[in-house]
Amino acid sequence: MHKEQPAEVAPVEGGVHTYPNQFSDDEDDYSVSGSEHGSDADAPKPVKIHIPDPVRNFLTHLQNNVYDNNAHELYVAYEHNFNRLTERFYAKQSWPHPQYIGSMMNDDGIFLTLYRELYYRHIYARLQPSLEDRFHSYENYCDLFNFILNSDGPVALELPNQWLWDVVDEFIYQFQAFCTYRNRIKRKTEEELYLLKENPQMWSCYSVLNVLYSLIQKSNITEQLLVSKNGGDVVAAAGDYGSRPLYKMLGYFSIIGLLRVHCLLGDYTMALKMMENIEMSNKAIYTRVTACHVTTHYYVGFAYMMMRRYADAIRTFSQILTFVSRTKQYHNRTYQYQGLNKRSDQIYALLAMCVALCPTRLDEHLHNYLRDKYGEKQQRMHRGGDDAVQTFEELFQYACPKFITATSPDYDDVLAYLQRKSSTKGENSSAYNDRNSDEGSGAESGDDEGDDANDAVAAPQVSDPQRHQTTVFVNEARYQLLIPTLRSYLKLYSTMGIEKLAAFLEIDDEQHLRHQMLLFKLRSRQKKWQSGSLLEGEWTASSDLDFYLNQDVIHIAESKVGRRFADWFIRHINRLDDTMANLKKSENTHAAAIQAAAKQMTLTGGTKATEPTAAATGTTASPAATATATTAPSTTA
Amino acid sequence: MTSTLTPASRPESIDHLLNSVERYNPANTEVLEDYLNTQCQNDENDLAANLALLKLYQFNPPLFNPSAVAKVLIKALINFFEADFNLCLYLLNEIVAAEPIIVTLLELKQCLDEARFADFWATLRAHQAKATDSALAQLIADDVKDFDRSMQRTIAEAIAMAYQTIDLSLVSQYFNLDGAALQHFIAELGWAMDDSQVVHIPLNKANEVKTTVINESIQFSQLTKIIGHASTA
Repeated sequence: MHKEQPAEVAPVEGGVHTYPNQFSDDEDDYSVSGSEHGSDADAPKPVKIHIPDPVRNFLTHLQNNVYDNNAHELYVAYEHNFNRLTERFYAKQSWPHPQYIGSMMNDDGIFLTLYRELYYRHIYARLQPSLEDRFHSYENYCDLFNFILNSDGPVALELPNQWLWDVVDEFIYQFQAFCTYRNRIKRKTEEELYLLKENPQMWSCYSVLNVLYSLIQKSNITEQLLVSKNGGDVVAAAGDYGSRPLYKMLGYFSIIGLLRVHCLLGDYTMALKMMENIEMSNKAIYTRVTACHVTTHYYVGFAYMMMRRYADAIRTFSQILTFVSRTKQYHNRTYQYQGLNKRSDQIYALLAMCVALCPTRLDEHLHNYLRDKYGEKQQRMHRGGDDAVQTFEELFQYACPKFITATSPDYDDVLAYLQRKSSTKGENSSAYNDRNSDEGSGAESGDDEGDDANDAVAAPQVSDPQRHQTTVFVNEARYQLLIPTLRSYLKLYSTMGIEKLAAFLEIDDEQHLRHQMLLFKLRSRQKKWQSGSLLEGEWTASSDLDFYLNQDVIHIAESKVGRRFADWFIRHINRLDDTMANLKKSENTHAAAIQAAAKQMTLTGGTKATEPTAAATGTTASPAATATATTAPSTTA
Repeated sequence: MTSTLTPASRPESIDHLLNSVERYNPANTEVLEDYLNTQCQNDENDLAANLALLKLYQFNPPLFNPSAVAKVLIKALINFFEADFNLCLYLLNEIVAAEPIIVTLLELKQCLDEARFADFWATLRAHQAKATDSALAQLIADDVKDFDRSMQRTIAEAIAMAYQTIDLSLVSQYFNLDGAALQHFIAELGWAMDDSQVVHIPLNKANEVKTTVINESIQFSQLTKIIGHASTA
């Protein structure tokens, strides 16, 4: 039924996506075939599609503003109206098929491409995308990016930053979801496997990287970032394309996108290398879109963690968590709130692991939150043993990105396996059609395992990237399990014999303890970023506890953190400032009230008009005096 | 312990390749494999180039070359101070990691990670003696020049970080050397030995520890609000 499937990545011209305007415009009800491809096997069943008025108005509005390039109106429509209408009409079903919308609105241009993007994104977010949806969505992205990259000259389209970010973000999400999907070979029907096999270009790793690199190249974003860092001619660096916000932002977001893709592939060095021209500061462009801000910190921090640069990971995570907790009140009404919340919980989990591996003093607020949320897990990691290993594994599984395999499984193997299996069992057991349990949000990875027990025929081996990354990381963490205990004993002494320490730790083998001491020493030194690009850094001691050995005697030194006053003073000076400002405000209103009262008194023959004002001017003397002074005028008035 | 991400020994052509989208071009696999061999012969290490090679294998499974992967891992093993080995592993997959030669390397890596240097040599020698592991033995003997000496140097660095003085017997185990060879190597490192068989290691940044008090430093950005208020008041 998929004969029309294009053989190339190139978008389909006409045919599939353009439909004759066969439906009258003054009708709200359309009856069209249920399947886009109107296969010959399934008789097209007429489906009644009702498009409610608000949705219709919304779409017209959107269409007009897309062609008028009214970024502000598009922002409102995109941020608010689309989600409101989704809640109201399409919480449990897809938006009207682009086919109907195209005919209804007589459009097959960029508006329809953008609508299709929204349509599939909504399916991914709320429903279960079919293989067909996945393919079509990919083709639509090709249409969109071809339009942007391969038109004659830069296109005039303008979209809000949030939308542009979401496009890049969703493109990568769907790529990741597809990679996870195709690896679940046991849940595929034979037909699906053939389709996957015959369309290797769909969501291929090379084509996804190609899109992102092309956007970077077209927008001259690297040159633009270099000029903004080192000075120079901004306009010349940007060029025809890069000077348009659409290209500039897409190029920029593609850098962040590649940071993410490389992390998903397990290439952490490359991930951080992508960021070499972006400075992590609160003025960076990525802070303009909150979701992008959080994503950037999550992946940068994660890459650092995997590179064993825990101090840098902790710094990166702390920055974003502080930002999120400070701005929480502004986010709780947006549609991304839930996603943001989950992401920040994941970051807390990563932070908990990093702190366990590299004990660090955290900001007080973060420390308290972490203790509330992961206190028990922190203790378990601290105590060591198998329990700790398990906790690391749990936290990692919960908080890591959904890793992908760059290439597809060998579908021929899988098909051969299915045939062997059905011949041994004498029944067609290949059709696992429980779609609902498939995929989910791409979260659970080991759910194929249950089938294994019943399989007489060995299933083809598919490597599970999630499990692989977890194993390598947890093995790394395992080495450090004894370190917290070691630390706690060392903290008590300035010199001690290695035998004595062995006795405390109940370690019989002195050699083993020596190894652990050496391990502690090696692991307490990390590369730490000082300045420049993210990959750079200097080797520093990351632990406040250090030691050296003179044969069998351990000499211990601890660096202590002096009392910190600055924060306390800054907080209180600010508080005083605020109090003063408030006082001044109330003073003014009081003064006005008093004057009004005085006026009235003068009218009635009173004479005390000047007295309360004098009391009010005296308020600036001292905070203590203000308290009494502020009450004074009100009593007089 | 210098950064191996941009080593000075890297030729310009390789540098250009790594910094462009050419790094994804499967046709460059051979170039990077050749460069890897050069590294092995000259006792150099270019992690970024080797990771790029692993990435090409990741994207193009038919190109997969087990002996090149093993060489990359051996290079990373020598540099066990840094996370190189893990960074390489993250680019492989479960099926590759189950290959016998990789499993052996993982075993060796674990010894080094746990600072069990004596065990490392014992494991290595045992594998070298076994005929089944001839692939690894051959790689180490023929392709990676001076593997033993490179390992000993890195191990010496680790010891120098933690010890000021250490018994000769321990050093002998850790280096898997004894007699004149050991004396010679100790002299080469600039370490001294006294009459009672104790090795003295010169002071360095890591084995000289001092109690310090870290005082806070106030950033200007912390004070902007206060200064702002002061000017408006």
